[in-house]
Amino acid sequence: MKIRDPNTSAVVDQALITHFKAPHSFTGEDVVEISCHGSPVILRLVIDSILRLDARVASAGEFTLRALSNGKMDLSQAEAIRDLINAQTDAAARQAVRQLSGELSLRLQPFKDKLVALIVPLESAVEFVEDDLPQTEAQETGETLEKLVSEIRVLASTFSHGHLLREGVKVTLVGPPNSGKSSLFNRLLNTDRAIVTEIAGTTRDTLSEHINLSGLPVMLTDTAGMRESTDLIESIGVERTQRAMAEADLLVVVVDGAVDLGCEDRHFLNWTNESSPVIALNKSDLPMFRDRLTSEFGGNPRIVQVSARTGAGVDELRDAILTPFAAVNGNEVGLLITDARHYDLLRRAEVELESAQRLLREGASEELVLVGLYGALRFLGEVTGETTADDVLTEIFSTFCIGK
Amino acid sequence: MIFDEVFDVIVIGGGHAGCEAASAAARIGAQTAMVTLNLDLIGQMSCNPAIGGIAKGHLVREIDALGGIMGRVIDRTGIQFRLLNRSRGAAVQSPRAQADRALYRKEMRRTLEATPNLHLRQGLVVDLVVHQERILGVEMQDTRRIGAKAVVIATGTFLNGLVHTGRQSYAAGRAGEPASVELAEALKRLGFPMGRLKTGTPPRLDGRTIDWSAFQPQLADEDPVPFSFSTERIEQPQISCYIGYTTREVHKEIRANLHESPLYSGKIKGTGPRYCPSIEDKVVKFADKDRHQLFLEPEGHETNEVYLNGFSTSLPAQLQLDLVRMIAGLEEARIIRPGYAIEYDYVDPRELGPGLQSRRVKGLFHAGQINGTTGYEEAGCQGLMAGINAALFVQRREPFRLRREESYIGVLVDDLTSQGVDEPYRIFTSRAEYRLALRYDTADARLEPYGRELGLVGEKDWERFNARRDRIALLKSALESRRLRRSDPNYSAVSSLLAIDLGDSVTLAQLSQRPGITCRIIEELLPIEVRRRTNARDLESALADLLYAGYIDGQRATMERLHQHDGLRIPADLDLGSLDGLSREMIERLERARPVTFGQARRIAGLTPAALSTLLVHLSSKQKAA
Repeated sequence: MKIRDPNTSAVVDQALITHFKAPHSFTGEDVVEISCHGSPVILRLVIDSILRLDARVASAGEFTLRALSNGKMDLSQAEAIRDLINAQTDAAARQAVRQLSGELSLRLQPFKDKLVALIVPLESAVEFVEDDLPQTEAQETGETLEKLVSEIRVLASTFSHGHLLREGVKVTLVGPPNSGKSSLFNRLLNTDRAIVTEIAGTTRDTLSEHINLSGLPVMLTDTAGMRESTDLIESIGVERTQRAMAEADLLVVVVDGAVDLGCEDRHFLNWTNESSPVIALNKSDLPMFRDRLTSEFGGNPRIVQVSARTGAGVDELRDAILTPFAAVNGNEVGLLITDARHYDLLRRAEVELESAQRLLREGASEELVLVGLYGALRFLGEVTGETTADDVLTEIFSTFCIGK
Repeated sequence: MIFDEVFDVIVIGGGHAGCEAASAAARIGAQTAMVTLNLDLIGQMSCNPAIGGIAKGHLVREIDALGGIMGRVIDRTGIQFRLLNRSRGAAVQSPRAQADRALYRKEMRRTLEATPNLHLRQGLVVDLVVHQERILGVEMQDTRRIGAKAVVIATGTFLNGLVHTGRQSYAAGRAGEPASVELAEALKRLGFPMGRLKTGTPPRLDGRTIDWSAFQPQLADEDPVPFSFSTERIEQPQISCYIGYTTREVHKEIRANLHESPLYSGKIKGTGPRYCPSIEDKVVKFADKDRHQLFLEPEGHETNEVYLNGFSTSLPAQLQLDLVRMIAGLEEARIIRPGYAIEYDYVDPRELGPGLQSRRVKGLFHAGQINGTTGYEEAGCQGLMAGINAALFVQRREPFRLRREESYIGVLVDDLTSQGVDEPYRIFTSRAEYRLALRYDTADARLEPYGRELGLVGEKDWERFNARRDRIALLKSALESRRLRRSDPNYSAVSSLLAIDLGDSVTLAQLSQRPGITCRIIEELLPIEVRRRTNARDLESALADLLYAGYIDGQRATMERLHQHDGLRIPADLDLGSLDGLSREMIERLERARPVTFGQARRIAGLTPAALSTLLVHLSSKQKAA
């Protein structure tokens, strides 16, 4: 179809026009899509022409908002669109797509249904005391509640992996001075980002870069080597290193494999032992490389021989870094909680349910047990949309024959 | 326009809403006329002869605390008092009483006639006199015109009422009483959006034809708990009600005759209440149930009429008799009045502001079933609010509102005016966000100061209120300060009862939170001078305050986190169409409900989370700009 300038009637472009009839469009409203030829100039002209016809440009996120308003998607789906736009890697995008298809809401729906099913008999017992209702068994309620709490707990716990997809895994290279951290950093990045010299202590500040490690978003940090120093600038660098270590999801301890382990190396290894780091035995290309060092670590599976200079062993190092995050990254991974808001709401729901559990055990009256159940329902509802008092009443009236 | 008489306020209707409205308006100082079809049927209980129950009893307590009359009248005429949910926490306990139907009417009439400024008039209102969107008065069927600055419509089921029994139907407001057809037409002419609802009653039996031994008696409480805070003792002799059951045979017979029921033949179009279903509905919707519970409720000391509660039906009268006689103990029963269903008009309550005043016609108020509610208590509290606000309107004073957090009345009025109804609306405790804070025994503490300020709570009641408040304060400080120590002679008895070590000492407040500790035990442990100055009910209230305080705080924190924007006001002149991203449907829903605050908008049915976000973004950016 020809698009003409409304003032001059000059043909601007020959475009393809698609009409999506309500409600079968993204927003649920009547939508017209104009596909033009790919020149920015033409696009500009077409948009200008349309604007002159008293149209306006959509505000940021408006189409999503309209889709939401018209019930074409729920809040968690809209949040997924935001994530999708911001996704850094395939795995993050995959999770966003799952959420977009409503998977989180679908996952939470059974929790909500179970909660309402727990609420209905308790609420009925309180509200319809004169009706001929079946007795609720506290034990049965307790068991259902226990199951629900643990299911929510399991889902919430996926956040420990899920958040890495959104925020990236923080991998930090640490080690004594001159062990080759910066060379390895550059090698992993495939650039000469960090300055490398023979002089121990060249790197004085932490340096971070984002990389995509086989689909896993990683923030790789190079640090200053750790040693006692009288140099003020260097000691500030050391302090920063300590901070970077504390914040890291994974430490890679880089050790010079061409010399025997010094007390600094041992000190380092002891120090980082608890965080189960990956150990990179660097400089495997040098003739004096000590193979036996590997056995000194007692067959630690996370030890990798690598040469920053030649690139030998770097793929193995990448794998070693990826291994702990396999649960995050695979194609076959289930739905993960990636958003801190969702995680927070699930945790709060869990806390509410635990208080209901405690009260139930203590034999408290129903109205107190219900406080926690409704609290949990409200928090879950923040993700999937609210359950109103009327929804609960509807469920009661369809479950029990109420009314004198 | 020339009027035969002129008042400040006219109340149309003498039912439970009308009585509260007229009484309140008159006592606030407005010259008030109550116009009703039949002065002998003021305060008639059209359905079951009982007041209260869970949440409904709370409403009566709130009415009483504000200075309303329902609680006092039922206390003088109740013949079976029971406090429901005694085994549960105080927040969900509620009084209920069976009334002597005739006595209740008489006592209500006496109460109204003893009210200064209140004038009773009999007649049928056929039209409203409205000029420039302002009410001027009413016109009666007998051509009398009565002028007023404010009018409260409380016509119950009379607006276009249509009674059904079997295939028969006739226009009526209640069985045997004329419907109010012209007034319904007048409201339609004024442009009020109206709908149709339905309710029903069971047959009433001749008590002399019942074999009572076939039923299980349900006794009155030995220590009846009155509704009114001002009532010291229930004087009426107390009776028993009786419980029985339907049988499979009854159900089978009903199913075989469903085509005779106007509910199932399609004759009835109005929506009935789900929580008060007819026996036809019960049998159809819960087909697997072997029996349904029935209550035989005597209607008074001086009548043989017995209300067959649980058997509401609109089947043909002869069939009703056959069905009743299939029930054990009712083989010989005779029906005095057959049950029936009634359809009636209601006006969309979203037409009203939070003071129950119409937005369409200034000075016009709606209360009770016209707003789509069901129940005497629901009607009564609306009548009270409408009467108060009509009088305040006449006196050009600020309208009176109650918040959801402080009262069930606030919950009910807010639900009605912001959500509307699609079935007869009944109050439930679960409708309140803060049910733990809205106990029946705290209605005085929550609301009586308002009643006092409005001029509805007299000197004597105010003294009583203050005395109770002081006693509870005394108890609370004693509970916090008094410690049970190891050296105390009662210590070992208490700790062995709980089977735990209580440590060297524990305050009575702490002790009272432990499961297994009753009010009586705490009472025993209180200092004698405190016990002498207080009573068991005060102690129950003080203990419940302590028990619930932590939960209420926690709940409030949750709610505030989730609903921190509820207080944002929505400007009346906000052009919803100008907000990007609001669909037509959402705009329509908002326009119909006209929420005043974001909190009200949040509770509108069918409003999507995103529409709310859009509104919220707009309101908060506006607020920042301001």
